Amino acid sequence: MWARVIEAMLGCWLAISPFIFRMDADDTLLWAVNLVAAATVITCALLSHWPPTRHARYMTALVSLAIIAYGRIAAPSPGPPELQNLILVGLLLLMFSLVPNFASQPPRGWRDVSQLKDVEA
Amino acid sequence: MNDRQDEHARLNVTAPPWSYNPSAWRQRIPICLLALVAFVIAAYMALYQWRLIDNVWDPVFGKQSKRVLDSDLAKWMHHLFGVSDAALGALAYLGDAIFGLAGSTRRWQYRPWLVILFGIDVIPLGIVSAVLVFCQATIVGNWCFLCIVTAVISLVLVYMAYDEVWSSLKYLYRVWKATRSSRIVWNALWGFPRRETELVASDMIRKAA
Repeated sequence: MWARVIEAMLGCWLAISPFIFRMDADDTLLWAVNLVAAATVITCALLSHWPPTRHARYMTALVSLAIIAYGRIAAPSPGPPELQNLILVGLLLLMFSLVPNFASQPPRGWRDVSQLKDVEA
Repeated sequence: MNDRQDEHARLNVTAPPWSYNPSAWRQRIPICLLALVAFVIAAYMALYQWRLIDNVWDPVFGKQSKRVLDSDLAKWMHHLFGVSDAALGALAYLGDAIFGLAGSTRRWQYRPWLVILFGIDVIPLGIVSAVLVFCQATIVGNWCFLCIVTAVISLVLVYMAYDEVWSSLKYLYRVWKATRSSRIVWNALWGFPRRETELVASDMIRKAA
C-alpha cells in the first residue's frame, strides 16, 4: 500500500499548490482543478484500503491524465509554474497509480493458487 | 519451515536462462538506488532550467553545461512537453525506481506487465539519454558533464535491468508456444493464474534449477 500512501501525499501537495504558487484568486478554474483533483486523489487513495473499492486507483489514473491534459493545454507552452506543477504531479500520480495495492505480494489469484496447494499438501 | 520461510522459498526461484532470480531484491535494489542517483542529478539540472539556482556545477566543461541547458534544443523540448527536459528526465529516473520497487520476487512470472513496463521505462530512456548526449556534440556543439553522467547511468541501468525483462518475455513466449492461445498469453501477461501457465512456469523453473 506504499503507493497509495504516496498518492495521498501528492494529493495534499495538490491541495496546497495554489498557496505555494500564489495563484491569482480570480483564476477560479485553476483553483478548482487543483482542489477537486486533490480531493479525488486523497479519497481514492483512502478507498483503496477498503476491499470493495480496492480498484479506486484507476480513478486516480484518470484524474492524473486529466490534470496533465489541463496543464498542457490551458496556456501556450511552456506554461506558468502552476501549470507545469500540474503536469509533473499528474505524471507522478500516473506512475504511482499503476503500482498495485499489495505490490510486494503476488497477485490475488496466484496467492489463492498457492494457498490451495498448501491445503492439498 | 514456518510460513514466512515457505513464502520466501516459493517466491525466490531461479528463472531461466539465468542461474539466479532476476526479480530478487538483491538484483532490483541496486537498480533503484542508481536510478535515484540519476534522479537527483536530473532534478538539480531542472532547478537550473527553472532558474531556481543561478549556476550548474561542471568540473570538466565549465560554462558549456549552461549553454547545453539553455540551448534551442532544450527550449524546443520545453515548448513541446510543457515542462523542462531535465524535469522529464528526473521523472523518468524516478519511474525506474518506482517500477523497480513494485512487485514480488517472482514478478517475472506473476506480473509480467509490471516487468515489461519497467523495461519500457529503463530501456528507451537509456537510448534517449545516449541520443541526447550525441545531440550535444552535433547540434548544440557543447558538452554537459552531468548530462553525460546520467547518460552513462542510463546505459548501466539498461544492462542491469534487461535480464528480468528477458525472463518475462521468455515466459510469455513459452506460454504461447505451449498453448498457441492469445487469450492465455493475455491472462499470463496480466498475472491471472491458469493451469497451463503454471505448468509452463514450473517447467522453466525445474530446468533452471
